Amino acid sequence: MNPLPRKLLHGVLLVLGVTFISFLLMVWFGPDQTYTLIGKNASAEQIAEIRQQLGYDQPFLTRYLDYLAGLVTLDLGSSNASGEPVRGLLARTVPVSLALMIPGFLLGNLLGIAFGLSAARHRGRWADRLITAFSVAGMSISFLVVIIAFQVLLSTPYGLDLFPVRGWRVDDFASYLQYVTVPTLALVFITLGYNTRFYRAVFIEELGKDHIRTARAYGAPERTVLWKHVLRNGMVPIVTRVMFSIPLVVISGSLLIESYFGIPGIGLATFEAITSGDQPVLQAVVGLTAVAFVVIQVLTEMLYRLLDPRIS
Amino acid sequence: MCARAAGTGKSLLAAALLLLAAAGCTEQAPDSAQTAPETVYRHAMDGAPRSLDPAQASSIYAKMLVVNLYDTLYRYQYLARPYQLTPNLAEGMPQVSADGLIYTIRIRPGGQFIDDPAFPRGRGRAVTAADFVYSIKRHFDPATRSQGAWLWQNRIVGLDQWKDEGADYDREVPGLRALDEQTVQIQLVSPFPQLTHTLAQGFAAIVPREAVEHYGQEFPIRPVGSGPYRLSGFDSTGAVLQRNPAFREPPFSLEAEGYDIETQGHLGLERLEGRVPPFTDRIEVAFIAEDAARWNAFISGETDFIKVPVTQFDRVLASRDPPRLNDDMAERYRLAASLESGFVHTDFNMDDQRIGYHPDSDQAARNTSLRCAIIKAFDWQKRNEVFYYGIGRVFAGIIPPASLEFDPAQDDSWVQRDLDGARKLLRDAGWHAGNLPELEYGFPASVTERQMFEQFRSFMADIGYPAEKIRPLTFATYGDYARAYLNREVMLTTTGWTMDYPDAENTMQLFYGPNASPGSNSANYSNEEFDRLYRAGAAMQPSPMRTSLYRNMNRILLDDCVTISGISRTLILMWNQDAVMLPDRAFVGGFFFRYVDSGAADGAAGGNANP
Repeated sequence: MNPLPRKLLHGVLLVLGVTFISFLLMVWFGPDQTYTLIGKNASAEQIAEIRQQLGYDQPFLTRYLDYLAGLVTLDLGSSNASGEPVRGLLARTVPVSLALMIPGFLLGNLLGIAFGLSAARHRGRWADRLITAFSVAGMSISFLVVIIAFQVLLSTPYGLDLFPVRGWRVDDFASYLQYVTVPTLALVFITLGYNTRFYRAVFIEELGKDHIRTARAYGAPERTVLWKHVLRNGMVPIVTRVMFSIPLVVISGSLLIESYFGIPGIGLATFEAITSGDQPVLQAVVGLTAVAFVVIQVLTEMLYRLLDPRIS
Repeated sequence: MCARAAGTGKSLLAAALLLLAAAGCTEQAPDSAQTAPETVYRHAMDGAPRSLDPAQASSIYAKMLVVNLYDTLYRYQYLARPYQLTPNLAEGMPQVSADGLIYTIRIRPGGQFIDDPAFPRGRGRAVTAADFVYSIKRHFDPATRSQGAWLWQNRIVGLDQWKDEGADYDREVPGLRALDEQTVQIQLVSPFPQLTHTLAQGFAAIVPREAVEHYGQEFPIRPVGSGPYRLSGFDSTGAVLQRNPAFREPPFSLEAEGYDIETQGHLGLERLEGRVPPFTDRIEVAFIAEDAARWNAFISGETDFIKVPVTQFDRVLASRDPPRLNDDMAERYRLAASLESGFVHTDFNMDDQRIGYHPDSDQAARNTSLRCAIIKAFDWQKRNEVFYYGIGRVFAGIIPPASLEFDPAQDDSWVQRDLDGARKLLRDAGWHAGNLPELEYGFPASVTERQMFEQFRSFMADIGYPAEKIRPLTFATYGDYARAYLNREVMLTTTGWTMDYPDAENTMQLFYGPNASPGSNSANYSNEEFDRLYRAGAAMQPSPMRTSLYRNMNRILLDDCVTISGISRTLILMWNQDAVMLPDRAFVGGFFFRYVDSGAADGAAGGNANP
C-alpha cells in the first residue's frame, strides 16, 4: 500500500482509539456534572431529570456513537455549563491561544536550535557548560514559579512595572505586544532548557558522523559545516519535535499561562471543562486534538521526504 | 501604569523592554477629544460564573453579576447592618394577608428591558407582572435546569403541580398570578415568612420570555435584563458591564440605605446623596482564581478591589483584632473586615451505624459518646489560627453571627477544647484504641483540605484515636465529593454553607429530617422534637419567641453531637481610595455595584472600616 493512504488509515484508527479510550475515561472516571448542576435540597427525581438531560442515562455505546457522529459532522453540541455552542467556544478561544503561544513557541525553538548548535560545537568547553547549566536551571524551576517571578519582576510595582499583570485586550499590534510579552518570556524561559538539551543532543550526534569529518577534511568553513551539514541533516528530529508540539499549542494551549495571565484561550476553557465535567467541551478538545495529530503525522511524513530524499 | 513605566528605566533590561511597553502606552493614550471620560470600576473575584441565567445563579460569582444585569423585586439596603430588605423593582413591601398566605406586590413603573434583537425591532419593553410570573415558573420547568427551585418548592399553590403536568407556560398557576400589568399575587400553601427574602435572590431576577426563547441554550451567556448594567463582554477571565441608559432608580438616600455615620462616616458616602445610580459607567470584573495573580493585579492598579488572600494578611494588616491596615497600605487603600454570611462545619453521617444511629440502643448511646468526644477534642482555636489567620468567628452550633437570631451570650463550651472530658466520654462508653471504628474523612482533593484533614487527625491523636484509623477519602472534584456525600457514602463531611438570607430558618433546614440526602441535611439527622420545632418556627414571623425556639433547636443539635460546628470566616476586603463604596459579599452580594462611585473621592479619608 502507498505510504500516504496507509498513514491515513492508521490515522483513522488512531482517532478511533484515542476517542474511544478518552470517552471511556470521561464516562467512567470523569467528574459527574449532575452534582454541580443541581441546586440545594435536590430530590432524587430532580437528580434523575438532570442525568437524563445530560444523557448519562443512555447506554455507553449510544453515547460514543453520538459523539463520533458529532465529530464527523462537526456538530459538537453546546457546553453543559454555559450553553455556549462548542464550535463558537473553539472559534473564540483557539485564535487567542495561537496568538499567545506562537511567539513563545517560535522563539523557544529558534533559540533552542541556536544554543544547541553552539553548545554542540563547543562541547565540553565553558560555552557548552554555561548553556547546559542554563538549560538545567530552566528545566528545574517550576513553571508556576517562573510565571509568578516574571509577573512580579515585569508587571508590578515590586519590579519594573512595565506590562499589564493580566488580561487580553488586543486591538492592535502595540496592545498585542503589551499583553503577549511577559507570557512569551515566561514560556521561552521554561521551554528553552528542554529545547536546547534536545537539539544539543541531536547536533552532537550529527557532528560525530563521517560526512561532517569529510566536510572538514575538505576544508569546508566551520559555518558551512554547521549550517549546511549539521543543521540540515538534523532537520528530521527537529521537524518531528516541532510538528508534534503544534497540536498541543493549538488545541491545549497553556493552562497555567492562560490562567495566571487571565487570557481567555482554549487551555483555560479545557481546564474548566475538566474540573466541571463539561463533557461536550472535553470531547471536542480531545477529538480535535487526535485529528490534529493525524494531520500533523501525514504532513510530517511529507516533510521528511522533502528534507531527506533517502526516506521513502 | 504607563506613566510609572516611563520613570523606571533603571537597567538595560528595562530599557529594552521599555520599547515594547512604550508602544502600548502611546497607542493606549486616552482620547483627548472626549469631554466626559467614562468612569470605570474594576472589580476582582476569586472565581468565575459559568452561567448568567438567573435560574442558575447559585454561586456568589453568578449572583454578583446577575443582580446587576437583571432586576429583582427586592434587595438588601446598601449600608444597613444587620441586613434589611427594601423594595427594588417593587413599589413597596408586599401586602400580606392576615393569615400570611397571600402576598400582593406592585411593580414600580419605569422598569425597562434593554434593547436586544430578542425583541420586535430590537427595542426593549417595560417589565410587567407577567414577566415575574414567567421567571418563577421557569424554575419549575425541567428544561431550565434551575438551581433555585428549592426556594419555592411545595410553597406556592399549584406550582409543583404545574411542573408535574408538563410545565406549559400558557397554563396559569393558581398561586402565582399577574393581576394586571403591574401587580403580582402569590398564594402560599402555608405561611412562609422568608418569601420576601427569596424575592431578593438572584434566582428571583426577572427575565423576558422573548429572550429566553430567542437565545435558547445560549441564554445563560446572553443576558437580557432590566438591571443597572448590560453585559458587553463575558468569558472565562472576566465580564464587562456597561451602564444601562434605560435603568431608572430613585435618587440615592443615605437614610433609606441605612447609613451609620459612626461606622461609615469616613467612607465619603455623603457625596452620593441625591444622585441617581448607577454612579459608574463601566464595571470590569476580572475572574482571578489564583491568589498571587489577583494580588499582583491589585497592587499594580489593574483592579480596584480585592478580597485579600490569607497569604497577604501579614503584608497588609497592622493588627488583627480589629483588622487594620498598616500605614503604608492605609495611604492608598481602604479596608473592610466582613464576616461571611455562612459557616464551615463538619457533619457526622448519622446514617452510618459505625458513628451515627444504631438499632441497638446501647450501641447508639456509645456512638453518641464517641461523636461528643470527637467534638470536644476538636481544637477550634488552632483551626482558626492556622487556616483563618485567627480572625474567623468561632461559635457553637448552626446559628452563625450573621444571622439575626445569633446569641452573642451563648454557652461556648461546645467549641472549647476539653481533652479530659473527651477521654472520660470514651472511657465511660467503653471505647479504646482497639475498638474505635475507622473514621472516613471526606474532602475534595486540595492542599488546604488535606492539611485540614491532617490537623483533624492530630487533634484526635490527643485523645488516643490511632492515626491509622482516621482515613482520608479524597475526591477529584467538588462534584464527585457532593455525589458521594449526597449518596450517604461519606462518614465525615466538611462543607461550607452560605446563607441565602439573614434568617436562621435557612440554617435550621440543614438538619430538618425530611431534607435528608440528597437534600441539604447531609448529616441525615432525624430528631422528632427538632423537626416539630422547625415546622412550628417556619410559619412564624421573626420575633423573640421564634428566636428562642431556634436557639432551643440549636441546643438540641449540640446535645445530640451531630456536627462539629462552626466558624464564620472574616473576609478582608480592600479597595482603591479613588472608589467611594462599601463592598459586600454577604447574602446576595453584588447590589453594591450600582452605588460604586469610581471618581476621585473628594474629602474621603483612607483607612479602615469594620461594618
